[in-house]
Amino acid sequence: MTNSMSNLVKILESFNPFVEEIDEKEIKITVSPDKVVAVLETLKANGYSHLSLMTCVDWIDDNQLELVYILFSWEDGGKFLVSTRIDRSNPKFVTVKELWPVARFYEREIHEFFGVEFEGNDDMKPLFLELWDERPPLRKDFDPRDYSRKKFPDREYEKDVIKEAKIFRGEING
Amino acid sequence: MKERTIWEQIADSFRSRSIWMLHYCTGCGAMELPPTMTARFDMERFGIAPMATPRQADILLITGYLNTKTLRRVIYTYEQMADPKYVIGFGSCTINGGIYFDSYSTINRLDYYIPVDVYIAGCMPRPEAILEAFNYLMEKIRKGEADGWKRYRENYDWYKQNQIRSLGEVYVHDEFHE
Amino acid sequence: MGEVKLFFGPNHPGMHGNFSVHMYVEGDVVKRARPLPGFLHRGFEKLMERRYWYSNIALIPRICVPEPDINEACYAMGVEKIAKLEVPERAQWIRMIVLELARIANHLMAVGGIGGPIGLYTAPQWGTADRDRILDIFEALSGARVYHMYIVIGGVRKNLTPRIEDMIWKTMDYIESRLPDYENLIFKNRILHSRLKGRLILTREQALEMGVTGVGLRATGVEYDVRKVDPYLFYDKVDFEVPTATDGDAFSRVYLKFKEIPQSIKIIRQALEKMPQGDKVNVPVSKGSALRRIVPKGMAYVHIESARGEYGFFVVSDGKNKPYRVAVRGASYPQGLYGIEKYLPGTRIEDVPIWLATMDVCAPEIDR
Repeated sequence: MTNSMSNLVKILESFNPFVEEIDEKEIKITVSPDKVVAVLETLKANGYSHLSLMTCVDWIDDNQLELVYILFSWEDGGKFLVSTRIDRSNPKFVTVKELWPVARFYEREIHEFFGVEFEGNDDMKPLFLELWDERPPLRKDFDPRDYSRKKFPDREYEKDVIKEAKIFRGEING
Repeated sequence: MKERTIWEQIADSFRSRSIWMLHYCTGCGAMELPPTMTARFDMERFGIAPMATPRQADILLITGYLNTKTLRRVIYTYEQMADPKYVIGFGSCTINGGIYFDSYSTINRLDYYIPVDVYIAGCMPRPEAILEAFNYLMEKIRKGEADGWKRYRENYDWYKQNQIRSLGEVYVHDEFHE
Repeated sequence: MGEVKLFFGPNHPGMHGNFSVHMYVEGDVVKRARPLPGFLHRGFEKLMERRYWYSNIALIPRICVPEPDINEACYAMGVEKIAKLEVPERAQWIRMIVLELARIANHLMAVGGIGGPIGLYTAPQWGTADRDRILDIFEALSGARVYHMYIVIGGVRKNLTPRIEDMIWKTMDYIESRLPDYENLIFKNRILHSRLKGRLILTREQALEMGVTGVGLRATGVEYDVRKVDPYLFYDKVDFEVPTATDGDAFSRVYLKFKEIPQSIKIIRQALEKMPQGDKVNVPVSKGSALRRIVPKGMAYVHIESARGEYGFFVVSDGKNKPYRVAVRGASYPQGLYGIEKYLPGTRIEDVPIWLATMDVCAPEIDR
């Protein structure tokens, strides 16, 4: 952890974060959902003003969705991963589009792929998919192979090439 | 196949020598088109040139995977093109889905939705393979075998039913909320 | 005069890639614009979760077509960071050479490609033909022209032979000798000046607020480059400069790309000289165990400077033989979505393709 980063972590201690050091220049901070915006504001005021990525991870076993904001500082080259966990069955969170305007599109994307509602962001039109008729596709309980089989028919081959190759290699008897 | 009249044979022979391809990059195969078009491989020496609008184009190149959103536009474009029209499918992903066989948004088989005259295998096909495919298509046109547009007209109901099955509707909406 | 609804793309000769902008125009002036991505959406982030750690290398280059090597490098570096894998030193240098070659290829294509939307049709002929020289190196190196799958987890796939090293030296000399011609043909041309000078100006505050990286940001006068700020591989051991401009207009963005080519050539030459000799370029994996290979629990974000800006992979592992989640930061995400909506209104229709070309809006990496 570099000096300036450890100073920042000290400032953030009032939010009860769980700090994890991934790398010398990469720190993960886990906070409760109601403190995320305050943490992000503090980091933004202290040089971490570039939102590299905002994304979501589906932890299906814990029935939780993890929202991750990755902030990068152009001055000292450090990265902060601010993470929080929200309920998976009724996912709701607040928008950060006032802090970073581009977050509006990341939120639109997360809404489309994970089904998270962002309060304050009213532009929730699907960005990538058209006429989607299933559960959000990046959730873990969605199986793309099944969906692809159901919707897009495969080509049927007259010859079973894989079997022939196995016979050729001598793995099975033809 | 029906016997062609002498006039149709002459027309096919001329058609094969001047092919305009529609300049529509539907997928990543479009990356090998600039080298094919420009100085090094130079497809204009075969009489092939890019064309901006579908109304004047003869070939529709499906350069790679198609997802449902693009397929809607491709069907639009294909139906706008004037007869005779030919389709070339680029790469493995148009043949059987290729590396995206289990993707939830890309189709697995192109000739289920629009008729395809020539497929090029590979991911991605080299410029030489593209030129070879063009030559093969010219040969097919000359012999009168490239009849995809006739098949589309004859089996329109079957193609339409497949399109509706995978896409839901073939209609393009605009992005504004109104 | 009323407002007219105009669909720009996806089937349009001025459009870069398969991308669309829907806008309302009054006369020639754009009143409102909304980007419409998703024509190239293949669901990569889902597909990567379904494949093994090592087989993902074959899938990943397809995320960004003009410069595929950055994907493999990012992913491999992310996995190595979680698994704490030691990469042989020679492999790191080779990776640097490959990434810089890819950068030159992309810049040649971009510098030539600017001729397309503005009507300077000699430039694309030159740019693509010279780019093919670099594709020839890649072909000798990996057997493929566009998708190389050369950088793998734990190193690179094959060693750099003396013949290929010789080829790289010669190609670098050739490209360097061509650069004055490019300067004369493209950057002293009246067409380019009148179409690009003073158009689509982005101030520094606007660029930083939007989150633009790469040449779009450096054209506003700041020297922000991931290679300098957060060095990865051995970028801190080579000597190179980051060219900047102060205008922030479309012309300086294209010119900066051109200015980066000699710097990349410089890096490649230094890397070829400083590279240690030897055969060890990867951590060998036997045929069967690659699929069973487990990466320990953890997450990491790795970013590198691509030709278009900061490109990043966020990799999450839950300790199994497949990735739990991989998220991709496309370098052109801010300027391709937010930038179009915010900064295109007020410009003219013919500026829209110039925005897409000079800001390097790359549709496949936005859609994934």
